Amino acid sequence: MSITDQLLEAVLLYGLPVLFGVILIASVGVPFPISMTLVAAGSFAKQGEMKLVPVIIAASIAAILGDQIGYGLSRWGGRRLIDRITRRLGGAAKIKRAEAVSKKWGGPGIFFSRWLVTALGPWLNFTSGMARYPWRRFIVWDAPGQVLWVVLYVTLGYIFSDRVQYIAEILGNLAWAILALTAAIILGFRLVRYFRPARFARSL
Amino acid sequence: MKKLTWRQSLVAVAFLLSLSLGIFFVIRAVRPAIYWHYHQDEPIRGWMTMGYVAHSYHVPPYVLHQALGLPEKPHDKRPLREIAKAQNRSIDEIRTALLEAIVQARRPYPASPSPPTNPEASP
Repeated sequence: MSITDQLLEAVLLYGLPVLFGVILIASVGVPFPISMTLVAAGSFAKQGEMKLVPVIIAASIAAILGDQIGYGLSRWGGRRLIDRITRRLGGAAKIKRAEAVSKKWGGPGIFFSRWLVTALGPWLNFTSGMARYPWRRFIVWDAPGQVLWVVLYVTLGYIFSDRVQYIAEILGNLAWAILALTAAIILGFRLVRYFRPARFARSL
Repeated sequence: MKKLTWRQSLVAVAFLLSLSLGIFFVIRAVRPAIYWHYHQDEPIRGWMTMGYVAHSYHVPPYVLHQALGLPEKPHDKRPLREIAKAQNRSIDEIRTALLEAIVQARRPYPASPSPPTNPEASP
Protein backbone atom coordinates (compact mmCIF):
# COMPACT_ATOMS: atom_id res chain seq x y z
CA MET A 1 0.00 0.00 0.00
CA SER A 2 1.39 3.35 -1.00
CA ILE A 3 2.07 6.32 1.23
CA THR A 4 -0.49 8.31 -0.79
CA ASP A 5 -3.20 5.83 0.13
CA GLN A 6 -2.25 5.98 3.80
CA LEU A 7 -2.19 9.78 3.84
CA LEU A 8 -5.56 10.08 2.14
CA GLU A 9 -7.12 7.51 4.46
CA ALA A 10 -5.81 9.40 7.48
CA VAL A 11 -7.08 12.73 6.15
CA LEU A 12 -10.51 11.22 5.50
CA LEU A 13 -10.72 9.59 8.91
CA TYR A 14 -9.25 12.31 11.11
CA GLY A 15 -9.74 15.46 9.05
CA LEU A 16 -8.09 18.82 9.61
CA PRO A 17 -5.49 17.95 12.29
CA VAL A 18 -3.95 15.32 10.02
CA LEU A 19 -4.08 17.63 7.01
CA PHE A 20 -2.38 20.34 9.08
CA GLY A 21 0.33 18.02 10.35
CA VAL A 22 1.08 16.46 6.99
CA ILE A 23 1.43 19.81 5.23
CA LEU A 24 3.55 21.22 8.06
CA ILE A 25 5.98 18.30 7.91
CA ALA A 26 6.07 18.34 4.10
CA SER A 27 6.81 22.08 4.06
CA VAL A 28 9.83 21.54 6.28
CA GLY A 29 11.15 19.13 3.67
CA VAL A 30 9.80 15.58 4.09
CA PRO A 31 8.75 14.49 0.59
CA PHE A 32 5.12 13.54 1.20
CA PRO A 33 2.75 13.38 -1.81
CA ILE A 34 1.29 16.62 -0.67
CA SER A 35 -0.20 17.89 -3.95
CA MET A 36 -2.41 14.82 -4.17
CA THR A 37 -3.49 15.31 -0.55
CA LEU A 38 -4.48 18.93 -1.19
CA VAL A 39 -6.37 18.11 -4.38
CA ALA A 40 -8.14 15.28 -2.56
CA ALA A 41 -9.01 17.62 0.31
CA GLY A 42 -10.71 19.87 -2.24
CA SER A 43 -12.68 16.90 -3.50
CA PHE A 44 -13.64 15.86 0.04
CA ALA A 45 -14.87 19.40 0.61
CA LYS A 46 -17.05 19.16 -2.47
CA GLN A 47 -18.52 15.90 -1.21
CA GLY A 48 -19.27 17.38 2.19
CA GLU A 49 -16.71 15.27 4.06
CA MET A 50 -14.66 18.35 4.93
CA LYS A 51 -15.38 22.09 4.93
CA LEU A 52 -13.77 24.19 2.24
CA VAL A 53 -12.79 27.35 4.17
CA PRO A 54 -11.29 25.55 7.20
CA VAL A 55 -9.32 23.32 4.81
CA ILE A 56 -7.85 26.34 3.04
CA ILE A 57 -7.06 28.17 6.30
CA ALA A 58 -5.52 25.15 8.03
CA ALA A 59 -3.46 24.14 5.00
CA SER A 60 -2.19 27.69 4.45
CA ILE A 61 -1.16 28.17 8.07
CA ALA A 62 0.53 24.76 8.13
CA ALA A 63 2.47 25.48 4.95
CA ILE A 64 3.63 28.92 6.08
CA LEU A 65 4.58 27.60 9.52
CA GLY A 66 6.52 24.71 7.99
CA ASP A 67 8.48 27.12 5.81
CA GLN A 68 9.41 29.22 8.84
CA ILE A 69 10.68 26.10 10.61
CA GLY A 70 12.82 25.16 7.59
CA TYR A 71 14.10 28.72 7.33
CA GLY A 72 14.79 28.98 11.05
CA LEU A 73 16.59 25.63 11.26
CA SER A 74 18.95 26.53 8.45
CA ARG A 75 19.45 30.10 9.59
CA TRP A 76 20.43 29.29 13.15
CA GLY A 77 21.62 25.72 12.81
CA GLY A 78 22.98 25.48 9.30
CA ARG A 79 24.59 28.89 9.45
CA ARG A 80 26.74 27.90 12.37
CA LEU A 81 27.86 24.86 10.39
CA ILE A 82 28.79 26.98 7.39
CA ASP A 83 30.71 29.46 9.53
CA ARG A 84 32.70 26.63 11.04
CA ILE A 85 33.51 25.20 7.60
CA THR A 86 34.57 28.52 6.08
CA ARG A 87 36.75 29.30 9.08
CA ARG A 88 38.64 26.06 8.50
CA LEU A 89 38.61 25.77 4.72
CA GLY A 90 38.08 29.34 3.54
CA GLY A 91 35.59 30.31 0.84
CA ALA A 92 33.95 33.02 2.89
CA ALA A 93 33.97 35.34 -0.13
CA LYS A 94 31.97 32.84 -2.16
CA ILE A 95 29.40 32.54 0.60
CA LYS A 96 29.17 36.33 0.70
CA ARG A 97 28.50 36.36 -3.03
CA ALA A 98 25.83 33.68 -2.69
CA GLU A 99 24.21 35.78 0.02
CA ALA A 100 24.18 38.81 -2.24
CA VAL A 101 22.58 36.83 -5.07
CA SER A 102 19.98 35.44 -2.70
CA LYS A 103 19.13 38.91 -1.40
CA LYS A 104 18.75 40.26 -4.89
CA TRP A 105 16.82 37.43 -6.55
CA GLY A 106 15.52 35.47 -3.58
CA GLY A 107 12.09 37.10 -3.37
CA PRO A 108 10.56 36.00 -6.68
CA GLY A 109 12.32 32.65 -6.26
CA ILE A 110 10.61 32.15 -2.92
CA PHE A 111 7.25 33.22 -4.34
CA PHE A 112 7.29 30.98 -7.42
CA SER A 113 8.67 27.97 -5.56
CA ARG A 114 5.61 28.13 -3.28
CA TRP A 115 3.02 27.36 -5.92
CA LEU A 116 4.52 26.89 -9.39
CA VAL A 117 7.68 24.83 -8.86
CA THR A 118 6.72 23.35 -5.51
CA ALA A 119 9.44 20.72 -5.51
CA LEU A 120 11.98 23.49 -4.87
CA GLY A 121 10.10 24.98 -1.92
CA PRO A 122 11.92 23.32 0.99
CA TRP A 123 15.29 23.85 -0.71
CA LEU A 124 14.69 27.57 -1.01
CA ASN A 125 13.70 27.71 2.66
CA PHE A 126 17.08 26.25 3.51
CA THR A 127 19.10 28.40 1.14
CA SER A 128 17.25 31.54 2.24
CA GLY A 129 17.98 30.75 5.87
CA MET A 130 21.62 29.93 5.15
CA ALA A 131 22.08 33.10 3.14
CA ARG A 132 20.49 35.13 5.94
CA TYR A 133 17.74 36.36 3.65
CA PRO A 134 15.87 38.90 5.82
CA TRP A 135 13.11 37.05 7.65
CA ARG A 136 10.47 39.72 7.20
CA ARG A 137 11.03 39.83 3.46
CA PHE A 138 11.01 36.02 3.41
CA ILE A 139 7.58 35.88 4.98
CA VAL A 140 6.25 38.64 2.70
CA TRP A 141 7.13 36.52 -0.38
CA ASP A 142 6.34 33.22 1.30
CA ALA A 143 2.84 33.76 2.70
CA PRO A 144 1.06 34.95 -0.49
CA GLY A 145 2.74 32.19 -2.50
CA GLN A 146 1.62 29.50 -0.07
CA VAL A 147 -1.94 30.78 0.11
CA LEU A 148 -2.03 30.86 -3.69
CA TRP A 149 -0.75 27.27 -3.79
CA VAL A 150 -3.35 26.02 -1.33
CA VAL A 151 -6.23 27.88 -2.97
CA LEU A 152 -5.16 26.73 -6.45
CA TYR A 153 -4.81 23.04 -5.61
CA VAL A 154 -7.84 22.81 -3.33
CA THR A 155 -10.00 24.64 -5.86
CA LEU A 156 -8.89 22.33 -8.67
CA GLY A 157 -9.76 19.39 -6.44
CA TYR A 158 -13.12 20.96 -5.68
CA ILE A 159 -13.92 21.55 -9.36
CA PHE A 160 -12.66 18.20 -10.64
CA SER A 161 -13.78 16.39 -7.50
CA ASP A 162 -14.51 13.11 -9.30
CA ARG A 163 -11.01 12.64 -10.72
CA VAL A 164 -8.44 13.74 -8.16
CA GLN A 165 -5.91 11.13 -9.26
CA TYR A 166 -5.68 12.53 -12.76
CA ILE A 167 -5.54 16.14 -11.59
CA ALA A 168 -2.75 15.39 -9.14
CA GLU A 169 -0.81 13.48 -11.77
CA ILE A 170 -1.15 16.30 -14.28
CA LEU A 171 -0.15 18.96 -11.73
CA GLY A 172 2.84 16.96 -10.50
CA ASN A 173 4.21 16.47 -13.99
CA LEU A 174 3.54 20.08 -14.98
CA ALA A 175 5.53 21.30 -11.97
CA TRP A 176 8.56 19.27 -13.06
CA ALA A 177 8.09 20.32 -16.68
CA ILE A 178 8.12 23.99 -15.64
CA LEU A 179 11.24 23.45 -13.55
CA ALA A 180 13.10 21.69 -16.37
CA LEU A 181 12.01 24.17 -19.02
CA THR A 182 13.00 27.12 -16.80
CA ALA A 183 16.45 25.58 -16.46
CA ALA A 184 16.54 25.05 -20.24
CA ILE A 185 15.70 28.72 -20.86
CA ILE A 186 18.41 29.96 -18.47
CA LEU A 187 21.00 27.60 -19.96
CA GLY A 188 19.83 28.51 -23.45
CA PHE A 189 20.53 32.19 -22.77
CA ARG A 190 24.01 31.30 -21.59
CA LEU A 191 24.62 29.34 -24.76
CA VAL A 192 23.47 32.25 -26.91
CA ARG A 193 25.87 34.48 -25.03
CA TYR A 194 28.75 32.12 -25.80
CA PHE A 195 28.03 32.22 -29.50
CA ARG A 196 27.23 35.90 -29.84
CA PRO A 197 29.15 37.74 -27.17
CA ALA A 198 29.31 41.12 -28.96
CA ARG A 199 25.66 41.31 -29.88
CA PHE A 200 24.57 40.16 -26.46
CA ALA A 201 26.73 42.81 -24.80
CA ARG A 202 25.23 45.53 -27.00
CA SER A 203 21.72 44.50 -26.12
CA LEU A 204 22.44 44.86 -22.40
CA MET B 1 32.07 28.95 -35.54
CA LYS B 2 34.05 29.05 -32.33
CA LYS B 3 35.25 25.97 -30.60
CA LEU B 4 33.57 25.41 -27.28
CA THR B 5 35.55 25.11 -24.07
CA TRP B 6 34.73 22.15 -21.84
CA ARG B 7 32.69 24.40 -19.63
CA GLN B 8 30.63 25.65 -22.54
CA SER B 9 30.00 22.14 -23.77
CA LEU B 10 28.88 21.27 -20.26
CA VAL B 11 26.32 24.06 -20.47
CA ALA B 12 25.23 22.77 -23.88
CA VAL B 13 24.77 19.25 -22.51
CA ALA B 14 22.86 20.58 -19.49
CA PHE B 15 20.67 22.62 -21.83
CA LEU B 16 19.78 19.60 -23.96
CA LEU B 17 19.22 17.49 -20.87
CA SER B 18 16.87 19.96 -19.21
CA LEU B 19 15.04 20.57 -22.48
CA SER B 20 14.41 16.87 -23.00
CA LEU B 21 13.40 16.46 -19.35
CA GLY B 22 10.95 19.33 -19.80
CA ILE B 23 9.46 17.74 -22.91
CA PHE B 24 9.29 14.38 -21.14
CA PHE B 25 7.29 15.84 -18.27
CA VAL B 26 5.01 17.80 -20.59
CA ILE B 27 4.16 14.52 -22.33
CA ARG B 28 3.61 12.83 -18.98
CA ALA B 29 1.28 15.65 -17.95
CA VAL B 30 -0.68 15.54 -21.18
CA ARG B 31 -1.08 11.75 -21.16
CA PRO B 32 -3.47 11.51 -18.20
CA ALA B 33 -5.44 14.42 -19.63
CA ILE B 34 -5.93 12.48 -22.87
CA TYR B 35 -6.67 9.27 -21.03
CA TRP B 36 -9.20 11.06 -18.91
CA HIS B 37 -10.85 12.47 -22.02
CA TYR B 38 -11.50 9.01 -23.40
CA HIS B 39 -11.98 7.05 -20.20
CA GLN B 40 -14.20 8.96 -17.83
CA ASP B 41 -13.56 6.81 -14.78
CA GLU B 42 -10.61 6.78 -12.48
CA PRO B 43 -9.39 3.49 -11.04
CA ILE B 44 -10.87 2.44 -7.69
CA ARG B 45 -8.23 2.57 -4.96
CA GLY B 46 -8.06 1.37 -1.38
CA TRP B 47 -8.14 4.84 0.15
CA MET B 48 -11.47 5.71 -1.45
CA THR B 49 -14.67 5.66 0.57
CA MET B 50 -17.97 4.38 -0.75
CA GLY B 51 -19.06 8.00 -0.99
CA TYR B 52 -16.03 8.89 -3.06
CA VAL B 53 -16.53 6.02 -5.51
CA ALA B 54 -20.20 6.90 -5.90
CA HIS B 55 -19.24 10.53 -6.48
CA SER B 56 -16.47 9.70 -8.93
CA TYR B 57 -18.56 7.23 -10.93
CA HIS B 58 -21.73 9.30 -10.74
CA VAL B 59 -23.92 6.55 -9.35
CA PRO B 60 -26.22 6.77 -6.33
CA PRO B 61 -24.41 5.49 -3.20
CA TYR B 62 -27.08 2.92 -2.33
CA VAL B 63 -26.14 0.95 -5.45
CA LEU B 64 -22.65 0.42 -4.08
CA HIS B 65 -23.82 -0.30 -0.55
CA GLN B 66 -26.16 -2.95 -1.90
CA ALA B 67 -23.36 -4.47 -3.95
CA LEU B 68 -21.31 -5.03 -0.81
CA GLY B 69 -24.32 -5.93 1.33
CA LEU B 70 -23.83 -2.94 3.61
CA PRO B 71 -26.52 -0.84 5.28
CA GLU B 72 -26.49 2.67 3.81
CA LYS B 73 -24.80 5.19 6.07
CA PRO B 74 -24.57 8.75 4.75
CA HIS B 75 -21.06 9.55 6.01
CA ASP B 76 -19.28 6.25 6.22
CA LYS B 77 -15.66 7.43 6.28
CA ARG B 78 -14.12 3.99 6.19
CA PRO B 79 -11.81 3.52 3.22
CA LEU B 80 -12.49 0.51 0.99
CA ARG B 81 -9.42 -1.20 2.40
CA GLU B 82 -11.05 -1.24 5.87
CA ILE B 83 -14.34 -2.47 4.46
CA ALA B 84 -12.49 -5.23 2.64
CA LYS B 85 -10.75 -6.22 5.86
CA ALA B 86 -14.04 -6.22 7.79
CA GLN B 87 -15.66 -8.41 5.14
CA ASN B 88 -12.65 -10.68 4.91
CA ARG B 89 -12.29 -10.01 1.21
CA SER B 90 -9.44 -8.73 -0.92
CA ILE B 91 -9.55 -5.21 -2.30
CA ASP B 92 -9.69 -6.73 -5.79
CA GLU B 93 -12.89 -8.58 -4.94
CA ILE B 94 -14.39 -5.39 -3.56
CA ARG B 95 -13.36 -3.51 -6.70
CA THR B 96 -14.88 -6.13 -8.96
CA ALA B 97 -18.15 -6.16 -7.02
CA LEU B 98 -18.38 -2.38 -7.16
CA LEU B 99 -17.57 -2.16 -10.86
CA GLU B 100 -20.20 -4.77 -11.62
CA ALA B 101 -22.82 -2.79 -9.69
CA ILE B 102 -21.72 0.43 -11.40
CA VAL B 103 -22.05 -1.09 -14.86
CA GLN B 104 -25.53 -2.33 -13.99
CA ALA B 105 -26.56 1.01 -12.54
CA ARG B 106 -25.59 3.11 -15.53
CA ARG B 107 -28.65 3.60 -17.62
CA PRO B 108 -27.91 3.04 -21.27
CA TYR B 109 -27.04 -0.48 -20.32
CA PRO B 110 -28.14 -2.76 -23.17
CA ALA B 111 -30.31 -5.66 -22.14
CA SER B 112 -28.07 -8.68 -22.33
CA PRO B 113 -29.29 -11.42 -24.64
CA SER B 114 -30.48 -14.52 -22.92
CA PRO B 115 -27.78 -17.18 -22.81
CA PRO B 116 -27.93 -19.89 -25.42
CA THR B 117 -29.74 -22.91 -24.10
CA ASN B 118 -27.46 -25.86 -23.89
CA PRO B 119 -29.25 -28.80 -22.28
CA GLU B 120 -26.05 -30.76 -21.76
CA ALA B 121 -24.32 -28.04 -19.72
CA SER B 122 -27.18 -27.30 -17.37
CA PRO B 123 -27.38 -29.45 -14.26
